[in-house]
Amino acid sequence: MRVGFPHFSTVYITAKAVANKLGASDDELIIPPPMTQKTLDLGVKYSPAEACLPYKLTLGSLIEACELGADVLIQARGTGICRLGYYAKDQEQMLHDLGYNTHFVNLDVSEHKIQSLKQLVKDLTHDAPLPKIISAVFFGISKLFALDKIEKVVQKTRAVEIEKGEANQIYREAIKAIDEAMERKEVKKITKEYIGRLNQVPINHTANPLKVGVFGEIYVVIEPFANMDIEVELGKLGVEVHRTMTLSRWVKYSLFLNYLGMNEWRGVHKLAKPYVDHDVGGDGWESVGEKVLYARKGYDGVVHIAPFTCMPEIVAQNIMQSTRENMPVFALISDEQMGKQGMLTRLEAFVDLLEFRRRNGKRI
Amino acid sequence: MIKVGIPRALLYYQFYPAWKTFFERLDAEVVVSPPTNKTMLNSGISRAVADTCLPVKILLGHAISLIGKCDCLFIPAVTSLGEKTYNCSKIIGLPNIARALIPESPIILDPEIDLEKGRYYLYHNIYKTGHYFISNPFKIKKAVEAALESNFAYRRKMSDFGITPIQAISGNEDKNFDRKQGKESSMRIAVIGHPYVLYDNYINHNLISKLQLMGANVFVPEMVPEAMLDAATTRLAGEAHWSFENDIIGAGEYYLEQKVDGIVNLSVFGCGPDSMMVKFLEHRAKELGVPFLPLSIDEHSSEGALLTRLEAFVDMVKRREKVCV
Repeated sequence: MRVGFPHFSTVYITAKAVANKLGASDDELIIPPPMTQKTLDLGVKYSPAEACLPYKLTLGSLIEACELGADVLIQARGTGICRLGYYAKDQEQMLHDLGYNTHFVNLDVSEHKIQSLKQLVKDLTHDAPLPKIISAVFFGISKLFALDKIEKVVQKTRAVEIEKGEANQIYREAIKAIDEAMERKEVKKITKEYIGRLNQVPINHTANPLKVGVFGEIYVVIEPFANMDIEVELGKLGVEVHRTMTLSRWVKYSLFLNYLGMNEWRGVHKLAKPYVDHDVGGDGWESVGEKVLYARKGYDGVVHIAPFTCMPEIVAQNIMQSTRENMPVFALISDEQMGKQGMLTRLEAFVDLLEFRRRNGKRI
Repeated sequence: MIKVGIPRALLYYQFYPAWKTFFERLDAEVVVSPPTNKTMLNSGISRAVADTCLPVKILLGHAISLIGKCDCLFIPAVTSLGEKTYNCSKIIGLPNIARALIPESPIILDPEIDLEKGRYYLYHNIYKTGHYFISNPFKIKKAVEAALESNFAYRRKMSDFGITPIQAISGNEDKNFDRKQGKESSMRIAVIGHPYVLYDNYINHNLISKLQLMGANVFVPEMVPEAMLDAATTRLAGEAHWSFENDIIGAGEYYLEQKVDGIVNLSVFGCGPDSMMVKFLEHRAKELGVPFLPLSIDEHSSEGALLTRLEAFVDMVKRREKVCV
């Protein structure tokens, strides 16, 4: 059995860690290559023309995994409103048509998440004892938490570092180091070490960087390839980025705390209440709330990232423009036609606008 | 008498008879916007974000045209119409979009119809809507029962007599449709798509009558009995996640099994559910060797291009018949 899965930011590090802990040999887990233009081209070629970008990217990534010899594929599944519900089914048919003899196992990401994760690990490991599975999963998750912790510091440092690109270089090294760590203690040590290194990066102490919140559809917000590294580019322009949506936060709440009755979005939903009072699928409701949240927190602007034709985000976009909170929104619609230079030009204009607004007391 | 405005767009084609009965039983007057025209389309387009799909823009146009003609607008948020099935986000968020984009609109009545959340929630929401007109809960209950009855009657009428929603709503059951049907040839073509694009003749450029003029017998999803739809959808695509996709996928599968000569799928550019589901049908039509014409329309599509493609398709179907027989 050779297991493959679509590339999604740093998820591969967790998957690798879990597989190693469970004693899988190297060729039993196929790590999909990082996303490139080739992934996108493959996905676009074999997807329905009007499917959304996450569908195309994950399909491209799955095809690449199949080329490397994967025969069991993991894909997310959800109920309902958004297209995600049909990802696995459509993609399975497509891969079958392409002649890959693969079998899909699904990870439910909308309800019964923990049961579905348990079932998934059980299906893939056959007879591993439960405590061993749990400790392996926790080890994998701890790497996610460590990476997100480092990323938070990176987002701050990028904006004020004197030599641009230094923080990013350290972040890349950190990802590699954490990927190679074999023990939880080691992960902790590495985290501390790299945060220390980031704090030592020479920064401009007098700078008061612009602050921008990033939100939108989860896949395109978190996967840098899908948003053309917008956070790094904002950092180069001297803007501090804040993003609520991270993989570790999703894991923390969806897999554990939601079962204890906690809802990470309760506050955001409350802020969105005057405009939307019920779920519209995907992350639409949250997007409206987050715009209000960042406005209340005194941020200078927000970046809203959505795949082209994403239904929930279109609802959010329509509603967002009429909220009482006045806030510049940079709407990035990502699909296979996107070009980086176009985005950079718009981004520079956006940052100029924010600076102007700050100087003139936020009147425009 | 309170005047309720109902936009002639989106869910109008599925539920208008039920809504009309409901409001009339509550002693309200129902005002429906006129058929889509250019002014409406333009006013809708000017408000919404560019990526929004055409039917939502049209609904906004209809809602704007009703301002000043009614005391309240009825735009429900139809979230779920069955176990584990939902509607497209835009239909769920419809009243919120309308409220955000048309600040000058009268009160919008927006009951959330969500069968997943249980009976109590549904009753509560319907009662809240009825309460706007009348305070007697028994009368509201009676109105709901009458509305349900007229909804069933409406659906039965369409599947029994084989007529389109427009005919069922307006009451002229035979006229144009039957007279044109089946005179010249035995070509049977199924036209499938969401009711709000199939029956809005302004945006689809009279697609159905064009096909009929070319000598085709046209079949639409509403002519299939409801029970058959669900079964056919399950056969084709497994458990359904989207309520209204049943009409498309299920009807398509049903007509494929009935051995029609061709299928025309009319969908709107950017439709999320269609982009995933129609693929199943296309795949199946390919398997069975039935010609399949996917048409995608938006606010820029021209009548000429549509006509050319339809003519080519019909010619191809005709020629196939000759060659095969």
